Amino acid sequence: MTTPALRSTARERVTDATSLVLASVHRAHATLRTVAWARAASIGVGAACSVWLVTRFAERLWAMPSWMSIVAALGAGGAISAVLTRRVRAIDALRTALWMEEQTPAGFALVTLVERENEVARARAQVEPFNTLMRERLADAYIDAAGGSSRADELVRTSLRALAVERLRDPLLFVLISVALLAWWSLAPRPGGAIEHSASRTPAGDIAPDTARSNVPIGAWRVRVLPPAYSGLPAQALGDVESVRALSGSTLSIDGTGTSPSAVQVRALVDSVTAARTGGWAISARALRVTRSGNGWTATLTTDALPTELRVTRGTATRLLLLEGYGDSIPRISLRLPVRDSVLRRATGRLPLESTLHDDLGLASGTFELIVSSGEGERFTARTLRVGARAYARDRDVTLRAALNLDSMQLAPGDIVHLRAVARDAHPGAAREAGSSETRSLRVARPAEYDSVSVEPAPPPEVDKSLISQRMLLMLTEKLEQRRLRITTDVLKGESARLSRDQTRLRLAVGDAVFQRLSGESSAEHAHTAGDGHDHGVEAVGGKLALPGTMSATGMLDEGDDSPVIGINKPLLEAYNAMWDAGRALEQADPRAAIPHMRVALAAIERARAASRLYLRGKPPTVILDLARIRLAGKDTGVTNSRSARRALPPGAAAREARLLAAAELATGDPSAAHDSVAVLRLESLADAPEFARALATVVEGLRNGGEITDVFVRARRVLGGVTRGPNAVWSRGGPP
Amino acid sequence: MNASANEPFVFATVQYDSGDWDSAPMVPANVIDAIARYTEIPVRPQGVTVPLSSEVLFGYPLVFLTGHLPVRFSNKEADVLRQYLKRGGLLFVDDHNHDVDGAFNKTVREEIRRVAGALTPLPNTHELYRAFFVFENGPPTTSHEMNGWGDNLVHEHLDAVLFDGRIAVLFSNKDYSSEWSYHPDNKRFLSVDNTKFAVNLVVYALTR
Repeated sequence: MTTPALRSTARERVTDATSLVLASVHRAHATLRTVAWARAASIGVGAACSVWLVTRFAERLWAMPSWMSIVAALGAGGAISAVLTRRVRAIDALRTALWMEEQTPAGFALVTLVERENEVARARAQVEPFNTLMRERLADAYIDAAGGSSRADELVRTSLRALAVERLRDPLLFVLISVALLAWWSLAPRPGGAIEHSASRTPAGDIAPDTARSNVPIGAWRVRVLPPAYSGLPAQALGDVESVRALSGSTLSIDGTGTSPSAVQVRALVDSVTAARTGGWAISARALRVTRSGNGWTATLTTDALPTELRVTRGTATRLLLLEGYGDSIPRISLRLPVRDSVLRRATGRLPLESTLHDDLGLASGTFELIVSSGEGERFTARTLRVGARAYARDRDVTLRAALNLDSMQLAPGDIVHLRAVARDAHPGAAREAGSSETRSLRVARPAEYDSVSVEPAPPPEVDKSLISQRMLLMLTEKLEQRRLRITTDVLKGESARLSRDQTRLRLAVGDAVFQRLSGESSAEHAHTAGDGHDHGVEAVGGKLALPGTMSATGMLDEGDDSPVIGINKPLLEAYNAMWDAGRALEQADPRAAIPHMRVALAAIERARAASRLYLRGKPPTVILDLARIRLAGKDTGVTNSRSARRALPPGAAAREARLLAAAELATGDPSAAHDSVAVLRLESLADAPEFARALATVVEGLRNGGEITDVFVRARRVLGGVTRGPNAVWSRGGPP
Repeated sequence: MNASANEPFVFATVQYDSGDWDSAPMVPANVIDAIARYTEIPVRPQGVTVPLSSEVLFGYPLVFLTGHLPVRFSNKEADVLRQYLKRGGLLFVDDHNHDVDGAFNKTVREEIRRVAGALTPLPNTHELYRAFFVFENGPPTTSHEMNGWGDNLVHEHLDAVLFDGRIAVLFSNKDYSSEWSYHPDNKRFLSVDNTKFAVNLVVYALTR
C-alpha cells in the first residue's frame, strides 16, 4: 500500500515527468536524424569515389575526357544520398517514441504522450484526458526517483551509441575502401602512364624527373606557332608534338582538352658550362597563365632565342614541351669591289662598288656607307656619305651595286675614304643592329709621297719564247735562198741576220741540254758551259765543242774513265757545232753556205732523238718468306696493346653522362620518362655540344619508336666522351670533348 | 728428286747460258707463299737457282724456266735436261713475252723439241687442273694476255710433253712470269689469289 505522503510526492513527480520525457524524446529524435544523415552522406561519398575510380579506369580504355569522371562521380554520389535522405524525413517524434518504447517498455504511455502533443491528439485529450495511471507509468519508466531527472537521456546515449555504430560502420568502411583505392590508382606507377619519379632515381642536378609521357593524363594538345609579323613566315599548326623550333618573338600557343592544368612552368635552359658556374640548369623560371577556352584550355607564350622547357602539370601527371628558340640573325655582307685597299695618286673617275647581301629571313634595305676623313696633324674633319641605297622586299640574297664618282667627292691629297656596305633586315627592334661588311680604305696620296707609291715603270718581264725548230729554220733559210735574186741586199742582210739570231738561240738551247745532262743541274741554277773550268768531258775549240780523245767509239763510258759523257751527247755535240757554222754563215748573209750545216744539225738531232736508251735494272730483292706467319703459326698471341683507364670527363660532361646513364637505366622500366629526360638533355646540349645533341636526337627517336636502343645510347655516350673509332676499328677516347 | 720425303720442297729456277733466265725474280717467293698458305707441304722459305748444265738439277722435282730472249741450250744443258725429264722431273716453261711470234716462244719450242719431243696441247680436263684446286676451264687466264704488248690472245690451253702419261715439260704462253711477279706481301690486295695454279703445279710434280 502506498501512504498518502508518498502518493503526494509521486503526484508531483508525475506532473514534471511529461515535460522531461518529451524533451528527451526530441533530443533522441534529433540524434536519430543525424545518424541517418551521416549514413546517407557516407554511402554517397563512397559511391562517388567508386564511380570515379571506375571512370578513371575507363579513361585509359576509351580516352574519355576528365570532366566526365567528375560528373559521373558527383551524380552517383548525389543520387544515392538523395534516395537515402528521403528516409530521414520518415523519422518523426512518434517513431522516435516507438523506438524508445522498444528500448524501455512503458505500455505505450510515451507514444500516447507524444500523440497528445500534436493538435489532433490534444483535441482528443480534451475528450479523454491523459490519465493519471499513464503518467505514473511514464514516471516509473523514465524519471529517476532519487533526483527527479529524466532517464531518457541515458537511455538515448546508450541506445543511440549502439545504433550509430551499427548504422554507420559499413558506410564508413565503404568510404575508406573507396578512397584508398582511388589514392592507389592515382599514385601508383603504371607503364605508359603518368609517373612520378622517386627522388632516389633522380641523378643530381637532373631537372627532367617527375616528368612523364603525357598522352593519357594531360591528353593530346595542339601546338601553334605564329612567327612575328615582320618575318613573313607562315603560321604553323603543329598538332600534338613534343618539341618545337620557333623564331624568337613568335607566339606559341598550346590548346589542350579537359580540365585546365594546375601549373604550366616555363624554364629557359643554359649550357653545361653556365650550369656548372651557376649551379643550375634554368636561368629563369616562371609560371604561364592558363585560360579556359570552350571545353579545353589554352596557354600562350612569346618565345625567345633560348632553349626552353614548358612543363605542364595536372595533378601528378606532367608533360613536357621543348622549345628550341632561335634568333633572327643580322644580315651577312661581303664586299666584292673594291677588292683591296688602295692609294690613289689622283682622286678622279668612277669607282665600281659591289657587295653581296644575305639574310636568313629577308632584307629590308642596303647601301654603301662612306666616311671621308680629311685633315692633317691634329685637325681632322669627317663626313659620312651614302651611295646606292636600295630597299628590298624580304629578298634573302641580293647583289648591291653602285658607282662612286670620285670627282664629285672633291677629295684632297691626304684624304681617306673608308668604305663599307651596310644592310638591315626587317626586324622592327629599335636597337636592332645592321649588318656590315669589311671596310676598305682608299687614300689619296700626298705629293711628297709619290716616290713611295708603288709604281711599276718597266714593261712586264718577257715570258719564255718558244724556239723555232731546226727544221723550220732550214725551211726559212731555203726560202730566203730562193728569193735571194729578187730581193735587195739590205733585205737579205736583215732577214739573214734575224735567222742567225734564231739559230744562235737554238744552238745555246742545245748547249744547255748537253751541259745539263753533264751536270745534272738546271742551267738556270748553275750553268755549265764550255771552258767554265769543270771537267765535263767536253772541250771548247774556237766556239765549237769537241770530245776529248779518250772517248770510245761508241760514246759509252770506258772502264776507268771518270767523264760522265755518254753516247747520246755525241749527236747533240755534232748538232751544236753544225749550228755554230750555220749561224756564222747567216751572219755573213750567205744562206746558201748555211743550209748544209743546218741539214747536218737536223740530222744529228734526229739521231739523238732516235738513240737507243738503256735502262739499267737493279738487283731484285731477296725474299725469304716467314712461313710460320703465312701459316698463321707464329708467336703472335693476338693480344693487342695494354688497356689504360679512361681519363675523367670534365665536370659538365660528367654531369651529362650521369644523366644519360640514369636515363638509360630508366629506359627499360619507364621508357616515357627516359624519353623526356633525354629530350631535355638534348635541348640543353644544343648550344655547346651539338654533336652530342645530334646523338641524343637518335636516342629520343629510338625511345619514341621502341625497339632496341642500346646502340644509340652507347653511341651517344661515346660522342659525349670524345671516343672515336680508330683505323684498326678500336674505340679509343681522345682528349676531352 | 728429293733425297727424302721429309725434306722440304724447294722451288728451283733454271739458269741457262743464253737469254735472261732471271727476268721474273719474284715468282719463286710467290709460289712458295701459295704452297705455305694453302697446303701443309714442307717448303723451303727461299727458292734456289739451279744451272741447267749441272746435275744438281736432279734434286728438284719441279724446275721453272722463263725469259724474253732467244734460248739456245748448250749440249751439256740439253743432256742434263734430257736426263732430268727421263728421271721424272717436271720442267715448267713460261713465255715472259706471252707472244707466239716472239723470239723466246720460237726458240724454246725448238729446243724442247730437240731435247724432249714436240709440244702438244694439254687438254683442259687434264688432272693437273684438279691436282689441288679445281680449274674447270683449264689454265687460269692472266691479265697480261690481252694487254696489247704480246700476241694479244687468250691462250685456251697449255702445251706439254708427256712421258708415259706424265707431264714432263709444261709450256705456257700465258705469261705467269709477269702475273706472279710481285711481292707476296701484296697478295692481300688481290680479291682473288692468282697464284693458286702454282699449287696445282707443285702438288702434281710431287705426286705424279
